[in-house]
Amino acid sequence: MATERETLSPTQIGLGVLWPACWTGLPIKLALAVLLFAMGIMQFEGRLGIAFLMLLASPVTILAMPIIMLWFGSHFGEGSGVPILFFFSIPIDIWAFGVVGKTYLLERLRKEPPDGVGFTLWWKSAVAGALFLPIVWFIVSAVTETAVSTSHSIAQVESLRSLFDTGLPVAERIGLEVTIWGTIAFGVLIVLLTIGVSTIGRIVCDIAAAAPKAPDDYQALIVRWDLMRVPRDQGLFLTGITGAGVLICLLFWAVLPETTPHPHECCKKADVKAEAPFKPIETLNRSEQQIGALATKVEALEQQADRQDEKEKGKGKADGGKTANASAVTKP
Amino acid sequence: MEQPSVPNAQPTTVEKLILFLDARVGLKEMQAKMLNEPIPGGSRWAYVFGSILLFIFAMQALTGILLMFYYVPTADHAYASTQYIIHDVDYGWFLLGYHFWGSSAMVVCVIAHMSQVFLWGAYKPPRELLWLVGLALFGIVIGFGFTGYLLPWDQRAYWATTVGVEMVDKVPVLGDFLARFLKGGPTPGQMTLSRFFVIHVMILPAALMALAGLHLFLFRVAAPAGPFSGTPEEIKAKTDYFFPRQIWKDMVGMAAVFATICGLAFWEPVVLLDEATPDPGEYHPEPEWYFLFYFQLLRLKIFSGEFGQLMGAVVVPVAFMLLLIALPFFDKDPERNIFKRPIALITWIFIMAMIAIFTVSSIINREFLD
Repeated sequence: MATERETLSPTQIGLGVLWPACWTGLPIKLALAVLLFAMGIMQFEGRLGIAFLMLLASPVTILAMPIIMLWFGSHFGEGSGVPILFFFSIPIDIWAFGVVGKTYLLERLRKEPPDGVGFTLWWKSAVAGALFLPIVWFIVSAVTETAVSTSHSIAQVESLRSLFDTGLPVAERIGLEVTIWGTIAFGVLIVLLTIGVSTIGRIVCDIAAAAPKAPDDYQALIVRWDLMRVPRDQGLFLTGITGAGVLICLLFWAVLPETTPHPHECCKKADVKAEAPFKPIETLNRSEQQIGALATKVEALEQQADRQDEKEKGKGKADGGKTANASAVTKP
Repeated sequence: MEQPSVPNAQPTTVEKLILFLDARVGLKEMQAKMLNEPIPGGSRWAYVFGSILLFIFAMQALTGILLMFYYVPTADHAYASTQYIIHDVDYGWFLLGYHFWGSSAMVVCVIAHMSQVFLWGAYKPPRELLWLVGLALFGIVIGFGFTGYLLPWDQRAYWATTVGVEMVDKVPVLGDFLARFLKGGPTPGQMTLSRFFVIHVMILPAALMALAGLHLFLFRVAAPAGPFSGTPEEIKAKTDYFFPRQIWKDMVGMAAVFATICGLAFWEPVVLLDEATPDPGEYHPEPEWYFLFYFQLLRLKIFSGEFGQLMGAVVVPVAFMLLLIALPFFDKDPERNIFKRPIALITWIFIMAMIAIFTVSSIINREFLD
């Protein structure tokens, strides 16, 4: 067991601290993010928002994100909710790093955790992230861009035409391209992230090197370790958690800007003019009246035409029947 | 001599109620059995997926019941009633969004749970039955997604179901019968909607509840597998009960999933396409996102033609499922540490990479078609 602990690499140590610290702080930040969403003061752009939320899970992004947004023009989100979320993430991350750092030092490295280990880990990680993540962003973006264009040209080379009658089919070509650029971009990302995690691991190692050794009684050590994770009064703790959950639910419903329809612009209901309800008897009566009125009009027109005919006949007689043929042609 | 003070021995109303129930149903014994389950090596975040799945199912049932108050499962009114839910029912858009994203969360958590069991080697003897029932539950979750997708009755729903049923049709011997049974006619219509609705709200929930109960029972009989690494001394020292540490982790996991689904329901709400018609028009049919990788796989030239379609639609998925079913019976090696099982680790990475590559390819292919 001791041998296994001694052989822990900085990458393993870094991962052993960052991974649980991420999950310890994430639920609280997530609840906060949902509340800010509901208030309508935070908007994430497209699917990048998910990545943004996940990156927020790690305290190493706290300073790196604004730098990336400023230098590389990558816009993750807008609204006053984003800086609010960042601001409230600071104490949450310090707390999460504290819980995880203490338990890791005691249980995995068998060292007495120093006071303020959470804050020390947080600021050192934040500085490391601020320096390292923008570099990762730049390299991975450049590599991905190059890999995409290269894979595109590889997928269209002439030699592949000999395999298929009309060149590489679309699905195969897309699959090949994604495999090529995805493997290269993912490989570079993994290598760089390993270096980053290893850097955090070295920070933990430095803290551990300066810390005194923990007592050898393993069972006593495990009891201490356990109480660092779960408070002594567990009933009170569970009640507190449940109460906080209920409060968040109530707040969520209370701050939603509108009940219905959906408050987003994307989901506006199409304007459809409602048709007037069909009332058969009224419609029949109305139609009857209209037909009656139209019949009266037709009758009046016919009478008028007859009168005009009679006048013209009278005139015709006087004129010697010159226009008699013409009026006969125009009569319907 | 001073007598010690006797505490008030009168039980409160709640205590009386608990005593009443305990005398009749064995409440305290049940509670002890449920909460005092020893977990070898102690609680872990990796163990939360099973509880999260139960939570998501409960929420899906709740939101599903609320949606059923307004939804009309007829070809004439399904689309209009879904639009009514989105635009007129108080918080209807949120309930529908939660139900929609909840189904995706269920698929993600099922895959995460299966991956954890596979990587931890927790399917090995004596947990073979647990693994088999878990596979059946996986099938039910996929069935929920497939049958629920048709219900809004828009173009997306109609054509995804048409493609899905055509795939069922390719199954030898039973395919034709199954496809006709699901469709209830030559093209998807009222009969299809009725059948999918009944399967979605009655048959699958009943099957899931029964199998989830069996899964839990088998889990309690077999006991948790515990971590795949660590010395016996370490595992023994860290062993604790299900309550409170694992319950705390499960609750945090549930809260995180709940918040994520709420966020997605709010942020990416359900927007219906045009009402379903037998003419796809400009719409390119495609299934729900978690089937996209498979949809893209079937576009490959190797799976074209009658034989290719049979291979892609039937032979490959059936062979994969049979392999998963047979896994605990041919993998007899008691070694559970994933880092000492390179074939298992490489296979898992390969499958996950394939899913990722083909899903991304499908999205690019969609842009190409548009």
